[in-house]
Amino acid sequence: MNVTAHAVAAATAAPLEARGLTHRYDSKVVLDHVDLALQPGSVLGLIGRNGAGKSTLIRAMLGLLEPQSGDAFVFGEPALKLSDPVKERLGYVPQQPDALAWLTAAQMFDYLSRFYPRWDHRFVKDTLQRWKIEPDKVMAKLSPGERQRVDLVRALAPQPELLVLDEPASALDPVARRELLREIALRAGEAGATVLFSTHIVSDLERVASDIAFLHEGRLLLHCPVDETKERYARLWLPANVAAAAPTSSLGKRRHEDGSLSVIVECDANGAWPDASRLPGARIDTLGLEDLFVEIAE
Amino acid sequence: MDASLLTIQPASAEPIYRQIVEQLRRLIAGGQLPPGELLPSVREVAGFHAVNPMTVSRAYSLAESEGLLERLRGKGMAVATTRRTSQTQTQRMALLEAPLAALARQARELELPAEPVLQRLSKLMGH
Repeated sequence: MNVTAHAVAAATAAPLEARGLTHRYDSKVVLDHVDLALQPGSVLGLIGRNGAGKSTLIRAMLGLLEPQSGDAFVFGEPALKLSDPVKERLGYVPQQPDALAWLTAAQMFDYLSRFYPRWDHRFVKDTLQRWKIEPDKVMAKLSPGERQRVDLVRALAPQPELLVLDEPASALDPVARRELLREIALRAGEAGATVLFSTHIVSDLERVASDIAFLHEGRLLLHCPVDETKERYARLWLPANVAAAAPTSSLGKRRHEDGSLSVIVECDANGAWPDASRLPGARIDTLGLEDLFVEIAE
Repeated sequence: MDASLLTIQPASAEPIYRQIVEQLRRLIAGGQLPPGELLPSVREVAGFHAVNPMTVSRAYSLAESEGLLERLRGKGMAVATTRRTSQTQTQRMALLEAPLAALARQARELELPAEPVLQRLSKLMGH
């Protein structure tokens, strides 16, 4: 491939893409043929229970882990062989940051800023102040929450085009969490950054995510725009006497003790629910993402 | 108008962009937002509520297409000054489609025949 063709491919490629990613730990399947592509400027919330494979998926998509099969690409480059220019466009915050812990935050920022032409010194200074982090304390001595905040600042300061956050809010208090979400939202909306963040706190995701992906037992069950998810799926409850007429659903079905049945259904292109919703006694409940997630993941 | 006038409930089953349009509709109908009043920018709303700016843009565009808002060149969005009389009855009926569908569904769930429901609705509308 000549240089121009390569540049065109890189410009049009999804910022982050997984194709058929499959991975096992011992005999346990943690990723089962996962296909996932992020559109430029989108904010994808990756949701799943603890142990669903979120961190493994993120690590495999970034080339930090070699999957048993399948491929991952960052800006069109194979994730396992990223070039330095592509790495510069990427910001990643792992769930438990521990790199460079013997430095103070100020030392680390000073060191890292030399590698990034777009490093935002002002943002670093303002944010550390606002988040009340002592820049001259050795990072190993910071609390887990402070450590996570330092790492978020580190990932945001180079103004990356692709930002990947693994459970970014887990150690943050509500105020800092809201502030982080604001930062994510505005960067995506204004700077056109693409964001992937994993969480099990659904309300965080509902604020800022444009798209949502449900990962359950290593499989991707759902991947669509947040608004559409809310408008397209609902829970259909059928009393026992008509429960046999329940439509098939790949997403979730539960039989209750009295013989009644709940099933997750999808509306058609005209917004109409399946025929069974018009049976006598049938009820349709629209769902927030958290309820939908619980129904699917149970 | 201040961005804090809006309330966002992210966990609701109603998408955020619809929540915004509904509130604008109410605030305008109730006179809290007079014609010509400038709306906060997309950035202000997104920043204040920590929501995706694209969601706010979508809400504003929908409100504009419904004639609630108008785009002022160089100033952003404002409450429409001219009540759009050009909206046909069909267009106005379309706005009622969702609540009517919800009403029909609930009536069915309660196993009510159409006749008494329609009578009641008629009375509520003052006929």
